[in-house]
Amino acid sequence: MRAAWKNHLTGYAFISPFVIGFLAFILIPAGASLYLSFTSYDLFTTPRWIGLDNYKEMFFQDSKYWQSLKVTLIYVFLGVPLRLAFALLIAMLLNTASKAVGIYRTVYYLPSIIGGSVAVSIMWRNIYGDEGIINLLLNTLGLDSIRWFAEPFAALWMLISLSVWQFGSSMLIFLAGLKNIPNELYEAANVDGAGPVRRFFGITLPMLTPIILFNTILQTIGAFMTFTPAYIISKGEGGPLDGTLLYSLYLFRQGFVYFDMGYASAMAWMMLIIVSIFTAILFATSKFWVHYESKGD
Amino acid sequence: MKKMASLLLAMSLTFSLAACGGNNNSSESSNSGEGSTNTQTNAGTNVKEEDAKPVTLRMAWWGSQPRHDYTLKVIEMYEKEHPNVKIESEYANFDDYWKKLAPQAAANELPDIVQMDISYLAQYGQKGQLEDLTPYLNNGIDTSNISENSISGGKLGDKIYGFNIGVNTMNFQYDPELLKKLGVDKPSDDWTWEDYFALASKAKEAGLYFDGGMRPEVFFGYYLRSKGAHLYNADGTALGYEDDQMFVDFFKPLANLVKEGDTPPPDVKAQIKGLEDDMLVKNKQVGIWQWTNQFVAIQQVANRSLEMAHMPGPGRNEGLYLKPSMYFSISKNSENKEEAAKFIDFWVNNVEANKLIKGDRGVPVNTQVAEGIKSTLDPAQVQVFDYVTWAQENSSPMDPPDPVGTAEIIKLFAGLAEQMDFQKLSAEDAAKQFRKEANAILAKNKQ
Repeated sequence: MRAAWKNHLTGYAFISPFVIGFLAFILIPAGASLYLSFTSYDLFTTPRWIGLDNYKEMFFQDSKYWQSLKVTLIYVFLGVPLRLAFALLIAMLLNTASKAVGIYRTVYYLPSIIGGSVAVSIMWRNIYGDEGIINLLLNTLGLDSIRWFAEPFAALWMLISLSVWQFGSSMLIFLAGLKNIPNELYEAANVDGAGPVRRFFGITLPMLTPIILFNTILQTIGAFMTFTPAYIISKGEGGPLDGTLLYSLYLFRQGFVYFDMGYASAMAWMMLIIVSIFTAILFATSKFWVHYESKGD
Repeated sequence: MKKMASLLLAMSLTFSLAACGGNNNSSESSNSGEGSTNTQTNAGTNVKEEDAKPVTLRMAWWGSQPRHDYTLKVIEMYEKEHPNVKIESEYANFDDYWKKLAPQAAANELPDIVQMDISYLAQYGQKGQLEDLTPYLNNGIDTSNISENSISGGKLGDKIYGFNIGVNTMNFQYDPELLKKLGVDKPSDDWTWEDYFALASKAKEAGLYFDGGMRPEVFFGYYLRSKGAHLYNADGTALGYEDDQMFVDFFKPLANLVKEGDTPPPDVKAQIKGLEDDMLVKNKQVGIWQWTNQFVAIQQVANRSLEMAHMPGPGRNEGLYLKPSMYFSISKNSENKEEAAKFIDFWVNNVEANKLIKGDRGVPVNTQVAEGIKSTLDPAQVQVFDYVTWAQENSSPMDPPDPVGTAEIIKLFAGLAEQMDFQKLSAEDAAKQFRKEANAILAKNKQ
């Protein structure tokens, strides 16, 4: 009995770092924010219960909220597919190259490690600046400069391109998936005279669908929560004309600039619901397009 | 498939680790090493401090690089005189500063000494974040050479939430050489808004910008005062002007200057990261509308002689006001309030320290200090002192400190000004929208 208890204790000891961390930094704060979302809380005085008022304001009065949601959806629906397509393209290139693959893999992976950082966002600002390298290139080609910071969509494009540039982690996962596709399939297809395009759509893509699903979900969740680049590139303003006012940036502004933590908490919970809905949709549709090799085993 | 699954797992682990690493951006600009080099050099001079217990104070301020540099030097000087005190500094630019302060306040971890602005004094003071300084007057902070008027600049109700550390007013600061390119030596002493718009509209032709625009809440506030109205009503529960035409009269010509290319569009301003990138510093802009205390820093970074011109009239005497440029407040959660008060005392009353500060935080409130450092000042700094002295006779009392919710109103205002400058919103519509939304924010102050 005692030995068994000891055994359990060892087990609990091993998982305790996670359990404590999960409770202290995720579950309890999340619970608190759920409560706060039904209150008016200015950070300094005690929260006051106001029921669903925060949610009502969000849906029916706050046009900025809808603007931030719109911007975020554009960001996600353009950014994620582009990033995945790019990741797959590079992964396939790396899958063919033989010797230097290790180096390439590292090099291409680097942006996704440093991509979320402040320094890279500042670099991105400069690249797109009026006197930045992109406009310089356009000018040498005889084209006019683009005022990236003047047009809401152009500014959002800066953010999207930064997110596409951070394709490394999806690329690694694709690369692993590509290596797992049995070579016999390609050989058989070759014998039947299938060209590269046919091989890609007939073999590579279907065989990769589980990984595409996995990547899409992971990247979609991550993209919804993007904060740093939007904050740095627009200097915390979400400008021009709220064109880069991503959801989390607006949430931050409500909480820490306007001191409306109750509203910010409500926004955070809406975000959770929205992300859950999109994830659920992805899962629900997956049975129509995801191909599992081991089905029926 | 099993192999695949484990690979996926391994990959997702790498991913999440990388994500952790990637998101771990510390944008902290705190600096504690700089001033702590000296602890034992002058043991003899401070007998009574010798066996004082060690104290660590945290101090936070906003500003630009020149201000950070000399503030660290003043801290160093203070630490030399008080070997038991160590001061950790946290500084940032104005906008980031407030974003950093709010979470600290929420966590009850405000620095002991907090630089405060008139727009936030009510927000932090009335919500119980700041200590009432009344008990420290002449009991920690020597006020014998400071006028009652200056001290009450930090008053809300009967409590003093911030100690006024300098006097300020606003004007137009410009490069006379660049202005000559527009065919004018200096703006006339009694120039009007029409004169300003006419002069500014020549900038584009000369290949320049005229100015960097006006912070809407500050300069529209001045404009309203000059017309006998105010931005906020007396109890801070609604806007203080009735006629939206005043809004239109003020913002329409400004947006027009942007449209014509005489002042920079918002996207150009959005790319200015610090004083070094300022269009005036880079010789591309004639002048800048701002507070007088900022003259010293811009002059220093531009490194050429600049001049000051008055605000446009009519109604300048009614519009212009002296205001506390900033305050030092002591946070309620500070454990060393007496020590924090002693530092504030040093800051406002020590002549040697003020020879480093040079009025960058406003003309010193201590009249003897102001006199004492004048002989050591550069011409630019003397200009500021003289200007503030002039303004004492040519201005009207300031409005009460800004009401709670000002942060939101400033944002709203900046957003509308941006839309007007991008020519996406007419001044008429902006006026209506501002009235509606600002009143909704201010209505929350009704009890």
